Amino acid sequence: MGNYKIAIIGSRETILGFKALGLEPVYATNSSEAVESMFSLKREKMGAEGESRNKYAILFVMEDLMMDVTPDDYKKLTADPLPAIIPLPSHLGSTGYGLKKLKGIVERAVGMDILN
Amino acid sequence: MAILNVNATRMALLTLKKKIKSAKRGHKLLKDKQDGLMQKFMEVIREAKAVREEVEQKLGAAFKNFIRANSLMEEEMLEGALLYSTAKTELKVETKNVMSVRIPHFKLETEGEVVSYGFLQTSGELDIALQSFQDTFPLLIKLAEIEKSAEALAEELEKTRRRVNALEYRMIPDLKDTIKFIQMKLGEMERGAIINTMVVKAKIQAAA
Repeated sequence: MGNYKIAIIGSRETILGFKALGLEPVYATNSSEAVESMFSLKREKMGAEGESRNKYAILFVMEDLMMDVTPDDYKKLTADPLPAIIPLPSHLGSTGYGLKKLKGIVERAVGMDILN
Repeated sequence: MAILNVNATRMALLTLKKKIKSAKRGHKLLKDKQDGLMQKFMEVIREAKAVREEVEQKLGAAFKNFIRANSLMEEEMLEGALLYSTAKTELKVETKNVMSVRIPHFKLETEGEVVSYGFLQTSGELDIALQSFQDTFPLLIKLAEIEKSAEALAEELEKTRRRVNALEYRMIPDLKDTIKFIQMKLGEMERGAIINTMVVKAKIQAAA
């Protein structure tokens, strides 16, 4: 157990506000940039010698940047218990990506979509 | 229907019988695990959906406020004002173990003030926007926790379901078939031996 950091990935104007809350802002303007920064944030470790753990526990990512992430990359990113990658709706409004993701999870677990 | 590649001997029969016993026990245990996981998953997923909907609504409003503040103020001013923030965010993570799935539990610790800039050159909208960001923040953390849990549970459920099905529809029937096959074969050999003895005995009697 210990202290972790939270990062937010998105376009400059959207995530400025979160910077004031003490989150680590990472600027990205398109999906490939976002994926790249997600991978590098995921790789960042810290802790005393011997035991190392992830530096970031949560990565918030703007939905519009998550749209074009390939399923393969997504799988790799979410394979480990930490960090949690959470899509957030941007200032453009919700795109439904988050709910679609939930639906995908349900379908995987139950075999059919039982939400709604 | 498939018969495993084994020799039809008593030895093989004994090992197969042991195997089917443990396969059945494993199947029962896994099935129980699957039920437990499913129960937990249902709880989590319903909550996840509710929280996600709430977040989308609240965050949308917060962003609108922020964009408004952004448009009313000069870029440098805004950035300058946000630099003064003394807020620090630390996240403590504990992991809970539910049916061998590690579920994260986030605990947020914040200190300091977000609004610590001068009011003279900043717009009132910025205060409102930051306030709403701050209000939604704990909800975001909750969302992260729940969604990650749901994801982990779903993955484990999928794995467990595959194992249960593999045992139920493949391993156990195959073992059963093979056991039956060996028993038949052994019975056949036994009968063959008896007939042989009877034939030999009849021949001896006929000769005498």
